[in-house]
Amino acid sequence: MSSAENRTITEAKSCDELEAIEINLLLEGIYRYYGFDFRNYVSSSIRRRIWYRIRAERLKSVSSLQEKVLHDPCAMERLLSDFSIHISEMFRDPLFFKSFRNNVVPILEELPFIRIWHAGCSAGEEVYSMAIILHEEGLYHKSKIYATDMNEALLKKAKDGVYPLDKMRAYMDNYLLAGGTKKFADYFEVCHDKGIFQPFLTKNIVFAQHNLVTDHSFNEFHVIICRNVMIYFDRVLQNRVHGLFYESLCMSGILGLGGKEDISFNNYSSCYEGFDREQKIYRKVK
Amino acid sequence: MLNYLIQQLSYFFEVHYNSFRLDLNKLIERKCGMRLKTKLFLGYVTILAIMTILFGVSIQNLDQSNRNVEKTQQARFLKTKYTETIKDEINNISRFYRDLILLDMNSHDFLQTIHAIRISRGELEAALDSREALAEKENIKNLLHKMKNINRDYTDMQERCIALASSGRKTEAGQVISEGGETRSQILKLMDDLYNNEDEAMSGVLQSSVVAYNRALRFLFISLLLTLLVGAGITVWMTQRATRDIRKVTAVMNRVSLIQEHIDLPRINIRSKDEVGEIAASFNEMALSLEEHATQEKEFIEEIEGQNWLKSRSSEITALCQGIQDIKTLAHLLITKISPMVEASYAVFYIREGNGDKLCFKKLACYAGSSQEFAREDLRPGEGLVGQSALENRTIMLDRVPGDYIKVSSGLGETSPKSIVILPVAFEEHVVAIIELASLQAYSPLRLELLEQVSKDIGVTINRVEAHMKIGTLLKESQVLTEELQSQSEELQLQQEELRTFNEKLEEQYKHSEKRATELERMKAALEESSEYKTEFLSNMSHELRTPLNSLLILSQTLAENQEGNLTPSQVEYVKTIFSSGNELLTLINDILDLSKVEAGKLSIHPTVIDLTGMKSYVERLFLPAARQKKLDFIVQMDEVLPDTICIDEYRLLQILKNLLANAFKFTNQGSVTLRVWKTEDQVVTKKDLFINAKRVLAFSVTDTGIGIQKDKQEMIFEAFQQANGTTARRYGGTGLGLTISQKIAALLGGFIEIDSVEGQGSTFTLYLPDQYVEKAVMTDEGSPPAWAELDGDVSTVVQVVDESPIMENWNARLEGKKILVVDDDMRNVFALTTALENRNMQTVFAENGKEGIEILQRNQDIDLVLMDIMMPEMDGFEALQSIRQIPVYEKLPIIALTAKAMKNDREKCIQAGASDYISKPVILEQLFSLIKIWLYR
Repeated sequence: MSSAENRTITEAKSCDELEAIEINLLLEGIYRYYGFDFRNYVSSSIRRRIWYRIRAERLKSVSSLQEKVLHDPCAMERLLSDFSIHISEMFRDPLFFKSFRNNVVPILEELPFIRIWHAGCSAGEEVYSMAIILHEEGLYHKSKIYATDMNEALLKKAKDGVYPLDKMRAYMDNYLLAGGTKKFADYFEVCHDKGIFQPFLTKNIVFAQHNLVTDHSFNEFHVIICRNVMIYFDRVLQNRVHGLFYESLCMSGILGLGGKEDISFNNYSSCYEGFDREQKIYRKVK
Repeated sequence: MLNYLIQQLSYFFEVHYNSFRLDLNKLIERKCGMRLKTKLFLGYVTILAIMTILFGVSIQNLDQSNRNVEKTQQARFLKTKYTETIKDEINNISRFYRDLILLDMNSHDFLQTIHAIRISRGELEAALDSREALAEKENIKNLLHKMKNINRDYTDMQERCIALASSGRKTEAGQVISEGGETRSQILKLMDDLYNNEDEAMSGVLQSSVVAYNRALRFLFISLLLTLLVGAGITVWMTQRATRDIRKVTAVMNRVSLIQEHIDLPRINIRSKDEVGEIAASFNEMALSLEEHATQEKEFIEEIEGQNWLKSRSSEITALCQGIQDIKTLAHLLITKISPMVEASYAVFYIREGNGDKLCFKKLACYAGSSQEFAREDLRPGEGLVGQSALENRTIMLDRVPGDYIKVSSGLGETSPKSIVILPVAFEEHVVAIIELASLQAYSPLRLELLEQVSKDIGVTINRVEAHMKIGTLLKESQVLTEELQSQSEELQLQQEELRTFNEKLEEQYKHSEKRATELERMKAALEESSEYKTEFLSNMSHELRTPLNSLLILSQTLAENQEGNLTPSQVEYVKTIFSSGNELLTLINDILDLSKVEAGKLSIHPTVIDLTGMKSYVERLFLPAARQKKLDFIVQMDEVLPDTICIDEYRLLQILKNLLANAFKFTNQGSVTLRVWKTEDQVVTKKDLFINAKRVLAFSVTDTGIGIQKDKQEMIFEAFQQANGTTARRYGGTGLGLTISQKIAALLGGFIEIDSVEGQGSTFTLYLPDQYVEKAVMTDEGSPPAWAELDGDVSTVVQVVDESPIMENWNARLEGKKILVVDDDMRNVFALTTALENRNMQTVFAENGKEGIEILQRNQDIDLVLMDIMMPEMDGFEALQSIRQIPVYEKLPIIALTAKAMKNDREKCIQAGASDYISKPVILEQLFSLIKIWLYR
């Protein structure tokens, strides 16, 4: 290798190092000042989001973003919304919901009272999907769904239950694939170009702000659904969250994870058995 | 003629020019010392002279001819003029005659014309005369004569004409004129001849003048040429002479310019004493001085080069030494550098080491040192030449080194050096190093000088390097010290911190203890009150206690006597046991009462005069049976110097002695028990202050050969209810109060009890008392709680309070019976909390969500505190809090928020929503209870 290449490689290395340091400082500053803890998120995705925000704010470096974010709460809001993942759809991975409907629901039927926790519910699409399933299976009246997310803005959106109409049309396919038996359009009201979910669906849903990184268990549940949230967490954080779920799940409770996630690589993997491994549905056995 | 002369002269000059020149040369040469100036002068003068002569001649010539010509011309001119005049007048006259005819005789013009004719005639005649006068040639004279004759005729004719014309006879006048025409034409012809003669003469004159002119010109040319030649000749000759010398000079000078070194310059060889000669002489002088200068310069340059060489070598060495920080490297470097500089083939560097007696020079570096290492390793001052040089600080030179001294060798061979120099290197008059150099040739003075110079620099450098090395070591030392200091100061700081915290704690404690002191004051007052009550109680009780006990004793004694003999031996045994137990009980009660009295300060001392002998017999009587029973010797010794009587409370003294003796007998199974009474003054070492006022101090010692007491138990036994061994009571009986009481009574009497015991061998208890009872304040015993106090349950709790924080008790009491509302949807929590609360005797109610919570709250008005979860369905904690706070009754109700949220500002959020406080899940019960307590206490 020529010395020029050597130099660029060293430069690149020190650039990377510097960037890593800057990102650490930014996240640490955000944690200390605002209390949001992103320090254990997967670094590549955090880095991408940070740079996205840097470019959006027309800044040049991570340190300048840190300055802005610490001094301007609105900038923090924006960064926060960047960090929150809000890609979701109703009946996302319809087969998961289908499996849930066919396999989990029979178990739940026997319970006098069902408590379900959607951790990281984002804008609430999956929550409403769950509500619809429960409703169709006649379980909704004895269920309480707790939908939590770190981001208050998204939570509000979820609470409102308002979604763009064209999206609703797309969801219909998912609904059918998930084994839906009724008319999807019955579940929401059309208003201009938006669809608003009927109040009977939101009745038993509790929306609350909860941060998986910092907060503790607040109840014991029969079902915990946390899909496509932990892929953004690093190993340490995943362990922590799994610990939290373990604490919050009754014995023989059901844990549902996202398509790319798995129970196998954390400290609690031995506590669960596979209920439907393909759809990432597990059951707590010890 | 002149021409000829001139010509001759010029020829003469021309021919004899050269010889003339040579003659002139010789003339000049003969006079060798003739200067250039003179030569030039002579030359020029000659030229000028010749020129002048020639010109003079020429001019004269010219002048002559000119005059001639002039004369001729003058004459000619006049002649011509007269001739012209004649001609003109003749013409005029004829014209006038004609006019005359034409003109009117009476006109003015006529007269004028006549006048004019006459004038003209006069003129003509004058002219003719003049001409004639001038005429030289015969023919001209003849001509003129003729003319004059004709003129006379003509004139006559003219007069006739005029007369006729005047008379008016013009025609006759005309005729006259026509007749006179011939005359006129004769005159005219004569005129023409004259004129032609004149012309000829004129041209003749002209021609002769031209000729003369030509001649003169020719003469001029010749003389010019002559002059030129002469001049040139002289010039050339002189120039040559002059330039010859100058050329010599120039040549030499040119040669000089080509010469590089002006040490040996050519000289100009000119013998003549003229200016050039002077130049040559000056030049020679100059050359001489130049040569001198050049030689000087050369020497100078050599010297300077030598100096340069010195300086640059020396600075090389200095530069080399810069940056060297250790002495060995320095030595190596120097020796390696210096040796080639001075062309040494072998060199050694010695450095000074040590001081005073241990001063020596050690070999530090070598140049071309052979493997055999000839050079000595170390030398003392004065040892050998090196030592000598060191001692004297003087360079030593060895010029003729003997062949066997050392050998300088290379790969191909070896030889002995020619000269050796031993150079001391000094710094401030002290020799710090020696360099010895051996060379195959003699040392040039320059090299020696280099060495001398360099030695000074080296001296400085060595000093510097040594100093530096010393500094280095010192620095390391100081660094180590500094580190130590730092760590010590850190420790100090830590200690300071600890002290400070300690101080703070102390202050706290102080404040706390002040508070406590006030509490204690209160407590003491309370205590005193109660203790007074107790004393009264006890004193009353003593009688009450003793009475039934007495009857028990008496009756059991009576029964034991078995007077009627109707009891079985075992029954008798039982009764005896009852009796002894009752006795013991009585003793115990007595002891306790005594102790209490002592404690309360109610024990009074009644000093009486005691007779010691009496006491002795009493004691003997009392304990002999016990001694006999246990088969022990009992000895009572009284010292001789004892006073007969002492003033002391007999009863109390006997009480102590009885106790001591009873103990001695109790714990001795074989041997003896001795009571010795003796006087001591100086032997009481301890507690001397007790006996300050006493005249005499008495000692009562009880010595036994019993089981003895362990060293660590010796203090303990004086404590109430303490016996040396837990099982002592079982084996030996006793309550453990005896010694305590004795000690206290002894104190009351103004003395103390001392113990000396060896386990397994025996013990000696010594009671020291002043022989005079001195009224003293009762000394309360510090430390052990009043024995009787332990009997009372209430008081015991009060005593406990002194050690424990009094507040705690209140709290624990406060929690009981409170009603707590738990609002949480997490059943696990609810269960855990309610259980824990109920364990502390608190009432609990619970609700599953905020709405329910509010309902329950409104239904139960007696709720003291609410534990509210945040994340609940229906109505979450925040909403519930806000609603509750809006109800005026519950504005101040303590509500503690339980939340799983752990982010930074969640506490604030809870407080803002209306919570009194906040605790995070998972709940730590202890924390929760502390919190509850705080909020209930408020």
